[in-house]
Amino acid sequence: MIWNKVESSSLESLRKLQTKRLKETIKRVYTLTPFYKKKFDELGINPKDIKSIEDISKLPFTKKQDLRDHYPFGLFTVPMSQVIRVHSSSGTTGKPTVVGYTEHDMDVWDEVMARVFKMAGTTEEDIVHNAYGYGLFTGGLGLHNGAAKVKATVIPSSGGFTDRQVMLMKDFGATILASTPSFALHMAESASKAGIDYKKDFKLKAGIFGAEPTSKGLKKEVSKVWGIDYHEIYGLSEIIGPGVSCSCKHSDLLHIFEDHFYPEIIDSKTGEILPDGERGELVITSLTKQALPIIRYRTGDITSLKREPCACGRTMVRMESVVGRADDMMIINGVNIYPSQIEHVISQTEGLTINYQIVVSKKGHLDALDILIEISDDVMIDSISEIENIKKSIQHNLLNNLYINANVKLVEPRSIERSVGKAIRIIDKRE
Amino acid sequence: MSKYTIKQLSVFIENKQGELSDITSLLSKNKISLKAINLVDTSEFGILRLLVDDELSTKRILDANGFSLTITEVFAAEIDDHIGSFNDVVTILSENNINLEYTYTINNAKNGAFIFKVGLADFEKATKLLSKSKVKLLEKI
Repeated sequence: MIWNKVESSSLESLRKLQTKRLKETIKRVYTLTPFYKKKFDELGINPKDIKSIEDISKLPFTKKQDLRDHYPFGLFTVPMSQVIRVHSSSGTTGKPTVVGYTEHDMDVWDEVMARVFKMAGTTEEDIVHNAYGYGLFTGGLGLHNGAAKVKATVIPSSGGFTDRQVMLMKDFGATILASTPSFALHMAESASKAGIDYKKDFKLKAGIFGAEPTSKGLKKEVSKVWGIDYHEIYGLSEIIGPGVSCSCKHSDLLHIFEDHFYPEIIDSKTGEILPDGERGELVITSLTKQALPIIRYRTGDITSLKREPCACGRTMVRMESVVGRADDMMIINGVNIYPSQIEHVISQTEGLTINYQIVVSKKGHLDALDILIEISDDVMIDSISEIENIKKSIQHNLLNNLYINANVKLVEPRSIERSVGKAIRIIDKRE
Repeated sequence: MSKYTIKQLSVFIENKQGELSDITSLLSKNKISLKAINLVDTSEFGILRLLVDDELSTKRILDANGFSLTITEVFAAEIDDHIGSFNDVVTILSENNINLEYTYTINNAKNGAFIFKVGLADFEKATKLLSKSKVKLLEKI
């Protein structure tokens, strides 16, 4: 199901639309924010120099720090009287980043979220169980409004209270689940502990999962354990919130709504634009934002762009599932590793669950990698050698696939602390 | 299943303080009688093998408390107080190419027994051979 015909427009008309919108946005930020005026002037760029969307490469990047430096409303281009909603990041690594929305911005957000729900096959007959956190975090309300836009029934359950959520999902007959993938797994564990039969007791058919980098293995696990289609959603508050892109049922690639958000992939170190297919940092320019338009925002997310047509009929560019964060990348004895790569290897090994924790520390001059992984409930273990074999096999796979030496420690089921939001996967004890 | 089949529970435990007592206190609270307990360990984890009077309840209790465990079939040969009684059993197994995976002994006030684990495929053969010999196999513990 396609919500808006623009999703399958021709490249030519899309580029035309993007060019028009970029020009408007540039004019807007140049005339309304001292920050962008100064930046453009320093680089000798006048809004008139931007003649087509390709000229975007001349423009400066915007970083998270720029938002923090102008905390809270310094980059807004409208008076607060026109701002009808404010969201903010948690600010765990410094001042929070604050974003604002005009009525128009809210309409755009609802529009792209409606596209997401249609992609997941949602109709007005559906009951959407929304377990994303409501509040300053954009997840809860973003998904909520999209589900409402397609006229589905929304259960605004928010995060936490796992057992109660499982009960509500069952009793209310939820057909679409919206949550982080790790919380979806957590709920499945809780349901099976309560002796609930998924096939009989639940009506779920699809899930919209996001807000954390997720490996293929974890996706497969969530989709298998709940018996549902897995739709991955991507977004970030600086750009809009959830709804920048989403995967349809045909592949793992996420359709980017590039009539509103223009994507580029750059080399994190040099800032150079990389060709389609190559992995690098995703940079997004908002093309229609009014309250807080952002030029070439460095998301920190590592992904790549693919331009092959999709069987669903949508023509916009697709991104692969985010591999990790530019700043999440671990360098273990000189080898670049993203946690999701480790997760993928774990998911390929028998006898283990997908619950793991990576501990990086220093041993002398070398980096030491310890990985704690929970063994699964139903693993048939009666001898030390069987456990040693599982351990050896995962260590072997890590070395073979990722060229890393890790000390794997198998732990009891459910002994790694569960998080109700984003899972904590890495503990870096190095200086 | 051979009439000499004895069900044993093998529990995966991490090598950390209080793990063993967590399990034994659960069993004691639930009035499970322990017939034998055998712990094999490495620096990180161990396998706790248990013979109890009610395997299914024990499995349910441990499952519910988040332990990973499996039920295995073993057999028990009574300890006869003469030199070579253990050797009698392993000789028969070895002469018939049956590989012994592990063994341990248990005792109670009246007598004791050796517990044996062989591969599943060899189980019938092993118990048949032994029950025809002078070795006395127990039907239950």
